[in-house]
Amino acid sequence: MTVSTPPATTVRINRLERIWKETPGLLGWLTTTDHKRIGILYFFTSLFFFGAGGVEALLIRTQLIGPNQSTLDPATFNEMMSTHGTTMIFFFVVPMSLGAFGNYLIPLMIGARDMAFPRLNALTYWIFLCAGIFLYVGVFSGNAPSAGWFDYVPLASKAYSPGPGIDFYALSLLFVGISTTAGAINAIVTIFKLRAPGMSLNRMPLFCFAFLAVSFALVFALPALSTALILLELERLLGFHFFIPASGGDPILWQNLFWIFGHPEVYIIILPAFGIATSIIPTFVRQKMVAFPLVALAEILVAFLGFGVWAHHMFAVGLASATTIYFAAASLVIVIPSGIQLFSWITTIVTGTPRFKTPLLWIIGFIVLFIMGGLSGVTFAAIPFDQQTTDTYYVVAHFHYVIFGAAVFPLLGGMYYWFPKVTGRMYHERWGQASFWLTFVGTNITFFPMHILGLDGMPRRNYTYGPEMGWTGLNLIETLGAYLLALGLLSVFANLAISLFRGERAGNDPWGGDTLEWSTTSPPPEYNYAVIPKVSSPYAMWDEEDREEDRRNLELGRKTLERGHETPASTAVDAEWDEILEMPSHSAWPPLVALAMAAVFTMVLLQQWLGAAIFTAILALTVVGFHLKEPEEA
Amino acid sequence: MSSVPRSSIPRSMEASGPGEAGAVAAARRTAPSGWWGAALLIATEATLFSCLIATYFYLRFKTGEWPPNGIEKPSVTLPLVFTGMLVATSLPMFLSVKAAKGGAVRAAWWLLALATAVQATYLGLQIHLMVDDLNSFSPQVNAYASIYYTLITTHHAHVAIGLALDAWLLWKLARGITNYRLIALRVAAFYWYFVSVAAVAVVLTQLYPSL
Amino acid sequence: MLVVASIVFLGAVGMLVMGWVRRDRPGLPFVGENETANTFLVVLFGMGIPIAILVALFVISDLVLLKETDAPDAGSTAMTVTVVGHQWFWEASYEGGAETANEIHIPVRTPVELVARSADVIHSFWVPELNRKIDMIPGQANSIELYAERPGVFRGQCAEFCGLQHAHMAFRVYAEPRRRFDSWLASSERPAADPQSTQAKQGQRYFLEDGCAACHTIAGTQAEGTVGPNLTHLAGRDTIAADTLPNTPEDLFRWIQNPQSVKPGTKMPGLGLGAKKYHAIVAYLTELR
Repeated sequence: MTVSTPPATTVRINRLERIWKETPGLLGWLTTTDHKRIGILYFFTSLFFFGAGGVEALLIRTQLIGPNQSTLDPATFNEMMSTHGTTMIFFFVVPMSLGAFGNYLIPLMIGARDMAFPRLNALTYWIFLCAGIFLYVGVFSGNAPSAGWFDYVPLASKAYSPGPGIDFYALSLLFVGISTTAGAINAIVTIFKLRAPGMSLNRMPLFCFAFLAVSFALVFALPALSTALILLELERLLGFHFFIPASGGDPILWQNLFWIFGHPEVYIIILPAFGIATSIIPTFVRQKMVAFPLVALAEILVAFLGFGVWAHHMFAVGLASATTIYFAAASLVIVIPSGIQLFSWITTIVTGTPRFKTPLLWIIGFIVLFIMGGLSGVTFAAIPFDQQTTDTYYVVAHFHYVIFGAAVFPLLGGMYYWFPKVTGRMYHERWGQASFWLTFVGTNITFFPMHILGLDGMPRRNYTYGPEMGWTGLNLIETLGAYLLALGLLSVFANLAISLFRGERAGNDPWGGDTLEWSTTSPPPEYNYAVIPKVSSPYAMWDEEDREEDRRNLELGRKTLERGHETPASTAVDAEWDEILEMPSHSAWPPLVALAMAAVFTMVLLQQWLGAAIFTAILALTVVGFHLKEPEEA
Repeated sequence: MSSVPRSSIPRSMEASGPGEAGAVAAARRTAPSGWWGAALLIATEATLFSCLIATYFYLRFKTGEWPPNGIEKPSVTLPLVFTGMLVATSLPMFLSVKAAKGGAVRAAWWLLALATAVQATYLGLQIHLMVDDLNSFSPQVNAYASIYYTLITTHHAHVAIGLALDAWLLWKLARGITNYRLIALRVAAFYWYFVSVAAVAVVLTQLYPSL
Repeated sequence: MLVVASIVFLGAVGMLVMGWVRRDRPGLPFVGENETANTFLVVLFGMGIPIAILVALFVISDLVLLKETDAPDAGSTAMTVTVVGHQWFWEASYEGGAETANEIHIPVRTPVELVARSADVIHSFWVPELNRKIDMIPGQANSIELYAERPGVFRGQCAEFCGLQHAHMAFRVYAEPRRRFDSWLASSERPAADPQSTQAKQGQRYFLEDGCAACHTIAGTQAEGTVGPNLTHLAGRDTIAADTLPNTPEDLFRWIQNPQSVKPGTKMPGLGLGAKKYHAIVAYLTELR
C-alpha cells in the first residue's frame, strides 16, 4: 500500500497483530487453530497423497503398456488399482477442496476472522493425517486393500479377502469420514453465521454457495458409507451376517448403501471445482457472472438431485425394469443444472473481455473436459448402452474426464489464482501456461483412447490382456500419455515451488479480483481483516465506496473488534449483526484427540478389543480436555 | 479506543453468571453456532439410523420367515414401557433449559440430574433386556440377529454418549453458569430429543415382527 | 448419440473460440451487452436444448430399446442354459443334464434363456456381440436372452472384478446350425469315453488317484469333484483355462504342471507329480471327446 497510514490506524493494527500472533515454530503449527495454517497443512498433506495416487497410476499404466507384462503381478496390480482410487478420492480430492481451499478461503471470502469452530477445524486436519497414515501403513506392510475402491462383497468379505487389507480400507475410511463430516459441519455453520454483517445470502460469492452445497451433501451422504463400512467390519471381524446369502444377507445391500453415498460423493468431488471456476472467471473476464441467481440455484440443485440417482451404477445387477428406468430418468435431470452452469460460464467468457492468464486457461481446459466427461456420462442414461459399457474402459474414461479433468483442473487453476494471495509472490506466467498445455494434452492422450477401448470391449480392472485382443496400440498410447501428464504435473508444481522462493513480490490484488480476500494483504495477516468489511454485492472488491468506508472505519476504530480474538456472528439469511464471538487461538488438544482416535482404530484393526475399550476411554478423556478451556477463559 | 457501532451487540463470551447468560441468550436473533453444529451432527446421526433401519427392512423383504430359524418374536411390553420412560425425560430436559435461561441455575441442575438418573436407569434396563436376548440367540446366527443387535446397540451407544454429556454438564453447572455452558445445556437437550425420537423409531423397528 | 455429442461439444468449443477471438470486445456479437440476451442464452443452451435432447434419448433408449435387453418373458425362449460363475471359470449346464465348462453351444436363430448365477463372488456374464452384460450374484438367478442371428464363435468375458484372475476369465459361445448343435448336445449328455491307449489308461489312473478327481468331474468315472470345471468332454474344446490357452497337448501340459505360471493365484494347485505322470494325464485328457 503506497497510501501513508495514519497513526491511529497503525496503533490498531499493532494491537490486532499482538492479539492474534501465532506461537512460533513447530509448536505453533502443531497447536494452531488458524484456518489459514490449517488450510496450508491440508494442502501439503493432500498433495502428498496426490503424489502417492499418481505413482500408483503410473505403475498401473506401466503394467498395461503392452500385453502380458509382468511389471506387477496380479495381486499387486489389484492393490495398486484399489489404493489409487481410494487415495485419490478420499485422501486427495476432497481434503484438498474442502480442507485446503475451503478452510483457507471461506472465512476470507465472507469477511470473517476464522471458521466457526477453529479447534474442531484443527482436529479435522489431524484426523485426516492420521487416517491417511493408517491406510498407508497397510499399503507399505503389504496389506493394501485389493477389492477396488468400491469394495464389492462377497469379494471383500472375509472368505475371499482373508487378509487385513479390507480392514485397513474400511477403518481408514470410517476414520477419515469423521474428519470430513466435521469439516462439512464447520463450513455450513461458518457460512450461515459468520458472514460479515451486511452480506446477505444474495451477496455471498458463488464460491461459498458451492461449498455450502458440498457440505450439506457430505452431511447426508457420509452416513450411508459409514453404515456400509460398519456392517462390513462387523461381518468380517465379529462374524455378523449382512451380505452373505446363505445366512440371510444380500450382496446387493452393500451396493445400495455404497452408491447411496457414492453417487452424491461424485458431486461432492466436483462442486468445489464449480465454486473455484465461478471465482476465477469473473476476475479474468472482468465481468460479473451471467445469470448469477440461476448459477447459485444450480449449484444447490446438483447437490440435492445427486441423492436420487444412485442405482445407475447398478444397471447390470438385474434390478426390476421399472427401477432402472426411474434411475435413468432421474440421472438425466442432473444434466440441467450442470448445463445451466456450463453455459453461464461460457456466456460470461464470451461476453466479457478475457485475459488468458494461467488460471483462466485451467478453467477453460476444465470446461472442455467437463463437457466431454458430461457427454459420456449422459450416454449412460441410455440403459442398453450402459449395460454394454459399464465395467469397461469407457467408464474409466468418463470418470477420469470428470474427476481429473473437471475436478482437478480447477484445483490447479485455483492454486495459480490464489498463489499470490497465500504466498505474497507471483508465479512464472509463461511457465504456468506451458505447464497447463502439457497437462491438458497429456490428459487427453491418456484418457480419450479409453472411450474407444471400452467400446471395443476391454473390461476395467484387468491386470493384463492378450496380444490378440487388438488393445495393444491404444494402451501404449495411453501409457505414454500418462507419462506426459505426469511431466505436466511436475512442471506445474515445480513452477509453484520455485516461485515460492524466487517469485516477484505480489501486492494485495494482482488480478483485480472480485471477492474480499483481495482487499487484505498478501499473505493475509493472522486476523484477516483489520476492519470487518462492508458488503453491498457479491463482487465486494469492485464496490469502491465500500472499500473506502472500510479505510475510514479503520482510522475511527469502527468494526475493528480489537478486544480479543473476535469475529462477528450474524443472522443466517440477512446477515444482521447478532453477536461478537471470542475465538480460541492455540490448543494442543486437537492432535491429542486425533492420536487417541488413531489408537482406537488400530486396536480394532488388530482385533484387540480390550485395548480398543481402554483407548476409547482415553479418547473420552481427551475430548473432555478439549472442552476444558471455555471461551471466556481464552 | 475501540468501540462497536451498535453498543447493544453483546460480547457473548463474557457473559457469566445466571442473569447475564440468560440475557445474552434472549438477545440473540439466531441460534448460537454450537447449536447449529449440534443440529447438523444430529442430522448425520439421524441419517445413520435411517440407513440402519432401511437395512433392517431391506433384509426383511429378502427373507421369507421373519424372524427366521425359530428365533422367537420379540416381546412388546417392556421395550415400549422403557422407551416411554426415555421419551418422558424430554420434559425435565426442556424445563432445565428454561430454568437456566431464566437464571435459576440450581433448579436447572436438579432437573438435569433427574433426567440423567432416569436416562441411566433406562440404559441399564435396556442392557438387561439385551443380555436376556443374547442368552437365547447370538448376533452371529443369521442376518436378522445381526441387524437386530446392531440397531439396538447403536441406539444404546448414543444413550451412553448422552449420559457422558449429562455428567460433564452436571459437573460444570455445579460451578456456575456461563453463556458457553448454557449453550451446552441447550445442545444436550436437543441431543436427547433426537435420541428419544430415534428410540421410538428403533423400538418400533425392533418390535416390528410382533406388531 | 455420437453425432449429437459431437455437435454439442463443437458448439461449446466454438463459443469458447469466439470468446478468444472477441476478447477485446465485451458483449455478444450483434446484440452487444445485454443482460437479458445473456440470460436467455444460458436458459436456452443450459435448459431448453438439453431437455429436448434428453427426452429424445430417454424415450428411444429406455422405453423402446430397453425391451430388447430385459430378461426374457417366461415361455418366450426355446431352451435354457444355466451358467454359474466361479473364480475363475464358467460352469454351464443344460436342461437334459449335459454339463460343460467355458465353452457354451447354442443353436443359431433360437432364443435361448441364459440363467446367470454365482458360486462365490460377483461375476458378470458378457458376450458383447450378442447382448448386454448381466451380473452373476450369489443367492440370485438373473437371466438374459441369447440370440445369434448367424452361426459363429462369440467371445465373452467376465465383466465384474472378481479377484486375482479376473483378467483371465473368458469364454466362448458357439452358435451353430440346429443339427450340429443337437449332435453336440447328445454327445455332451453321454458319459466320458474310456481311455484307449496305454498311456491314456495310466493317465486316467493318475487322474483318479493323485488328486485331480477331488476337484474335477469326469462323468462315468469316480471323478466327481465340483470345485473346478467339468472335464468330461474336454478334448472337444478349443481352449482351456477359461480361454486363456489353446487346447493343445503342450499347453495342457504347461497348465497342469504349473498352473501358477499361467494364472497366478488360480485355485488349481501344482501337485508336483512329475513330467511322466503329467504326460500320461494329458494323453488321457486328449481322448475325452
